[in-house]
Amino acid sequence: MNLVQISNLDKSYGQLKAVSNFTLSADQGELLAVAGPDGAGKTTIFRTVCGLLEYDNGTINLAGFDIDKDFDKIKPLLGYMPQNFSLYPDLSVEENLYFYAGLFGMKKNEYQQKRERLYQFSGLGLFAKRRAGKLSGGMKQKLALSCNLIHDPKILILDEPTTGVDPVSRRQLWDILKTLKQDGSTIIVSTPYMDEVALADRAIFVHNGKKLIEGKPNELLSHFNSAIYKIKAVPSSGIMDQLNQIEGITSRRFGSSIHLYTRPQQNMEVYYNRLSQLGISAESISPIKPELEDLFIQLMEQSDA
Amino acid sequence: MIQTILALMKKELYQVIRDRNMLRLIFVMPIIQLLVLGYAINTDVKKIDTAVYDFDRSSLSREYIKAKTAGDYFIVSSENPPVLDAERGFKENLYTAALIIPNDFSENFIEKKPVNVGLLIDGSNANSASITSGYAEMIAMQFNRRQLDIPEPIVMRQQMLYNPESESIYFMVPGIVAVLITMITAMLSSMAIVREREIGTLEQLMVTPITVPALIIGKTIPFAILGFLEMSIALLFGVLWFGIPFVGSWSLLYGLTFIFLFTTLGVGLFISTVTKTQQQAMFYAWFFSIFAILTSGFFSPIANMPEAVQYITYLNPLRYYMIIVRGIMMKGASIDALYPEIIAMIIFGVLIFTSSWLRYSKRVS
Repeated sequence: MNLVQISNLDKSYGQLKAVSNFTLSADQGELLAVAGPDGAGKTTIFRTVCGLLEYDNGTINLAGFDIDKDFDKIKPLLGYMPQNFSLYPDLSVEENLYFYAGLFGMKKNEYQQKRERLYQFSGLGLFAKRRAGKLSGGMKQKLALSCNLIHDPKILILDEPTTGVDPVSRRQLWDILKTLKQDGSTIIVSTPYMDEVALADRAIFVHNGKKLIEGKPNELLSHFNSAIYKIKAVPSSGIMDQLNQIEGITSRRFGSSIHLYTRPQQNMEVYYNRLSQLGISAESISPIKPELEDLFIQLMEQSDA
Repeated sequence: MIQTILALMKKELYQVIRDRNMLRLIFVMPIIQLLVLGYAINTDVKKIDTAVYDFDRSSLSREYIKAKTAGDYFIVSSENPPVLDAERGFKENLYTAALIIPNDFSENFIEKKPVNVGLLIDGSNANSASITSGYAEMIAMQFNRRQLDIPEPIVMRQQMLYNPESESIYFMVPGIVAVLITMITAMLSSMAIVREREIGTLEQLMVTPITVPALIIGKTIPFAILGFLEMSIALLFGVLWFGIPFVGSWSLLYGLTFIFLFTTLGVGLFISTVTKTQQQAMFYAWFFSIFAILTSGFFSPIANMPEAVQYITYLNPLRYYMIIVRGIMMKGASIDALYPEIIAMIIFGVLIFTSSWLRYSKRVS
């Protein structure tokens, strides 16, 4: 069943077009990642979908309700976690949870059961009496997520929940999301980290408010239409300018090594001559497997061109 | 709906209790304000420091001086200070009045010629200066009659109602109570919603099923409770410490205070719809409080203000409440004596609440 259906969404801030012709759909029990760099429009899309921003064109339909007509019916079914921590820092973990339970009109015993379940998977039970403002970054995100789960939402929209969170907590958060998804929640999560995209069922790449590509993480890479080679030993610092003059390859520096991108179905060996003139031996060049990040950059450049 | 409001109220009260500074503000501020203002704002003019120049040095002049200082009104603080430097004493605040008895004082009096006695008064405080001059005139008249032994043709018997000893503190403390709850409720409520906007929780709230009326009610009732608490502390302190008489009905005062709190909470709420940060809200609330206090008749009677300003005071809810508090506490006024004030406060409250609700709903969507 199609739980989230966003069609042809347009949103601009004055002259600036923040989102253009954006379409997204998510099925029940699907974990969808919206990936893109800062400023790609992820937050604007999410805030619009949650009814916090007006939009210029398009339709937003959540759980079968149009957001313009039946927003009140959507609210009890929706959980939205903004990018910035937005709970009460002067209230304890338990008090924050209790407050959210109250907002959704939960009965006390119902709440207590739910709380224990949330404590179990988040590990927040140990910190129940601690003020939310004094939690670590990862714990804060787990609390924010827990507050949004108190009413068992059908649709969860999480805006960069793992940004600024340590790697262990990031992993834990994704594990929680997987469990939720198995329980039947539809989850849309944005992330600037490409490695997280692989953990989702489906991913959408966003750049400048436009969709670049959409698909299953393991199938996305088939869209990458060039080969990557890595140069290990980099001779001189001025080499980048010289590399960029070679017709047909794009080069990009990654720390101490350089990645060369060729045109589709082209062999690297045609360039060996030119490269050896620059002092790069054939032995220091080796092919590497493209990653999602490479795909993203390629698509981004194509869309900017 | 009721459950959401209760959850919000509980949360709001928790937050206030958590904040030590807020607690200090709520519990200590009324007592300090009452203590300091209760003693400091004293419009009674008594014990006027007086310099006395007695150039006559007769028994009559001494008797005259004695009559002047017999009550508690004038006290001799300097006797015959340097004549040419009389003004210096005023500048150095050694005295605020100077009585000058010329050397022909008793001579002229016996010969039934006109007698001139001089009184210099420090006019830099216009209020106490006029009171001083009134006292002096009254005492001089009594002295004349006694000396000439003539009966008074028309005797006026004055009686001061409600405050027979004319204690200014009886008048000030009810006023301070009104000022205190105005300040605390306007400021707390003006910051309440802005704070949520600042820390981002408002956005989170808007996605939950809470409605705008529920949000407004849940946000204002906790501060109404705090306002009542504040008032009770101040009233008890006034009655127990200063011994202020409370003539009227406590329940009427609390009931009408409830109406009044809706006006100040409404103003606070309105401020929170036009500001973006707590700091801005604080300044707006401060401005409102100062305006409300100065045009409420707390310090000076509204009748003494210029006509244009008098019209402006009708926009001030504290003006009405000031009449109510003083009326109930001092005169024992009943509800039918206070109708115009009650109606004015209700109109103000309804208007300000509706406009903040409208503004608020508009802002959210």
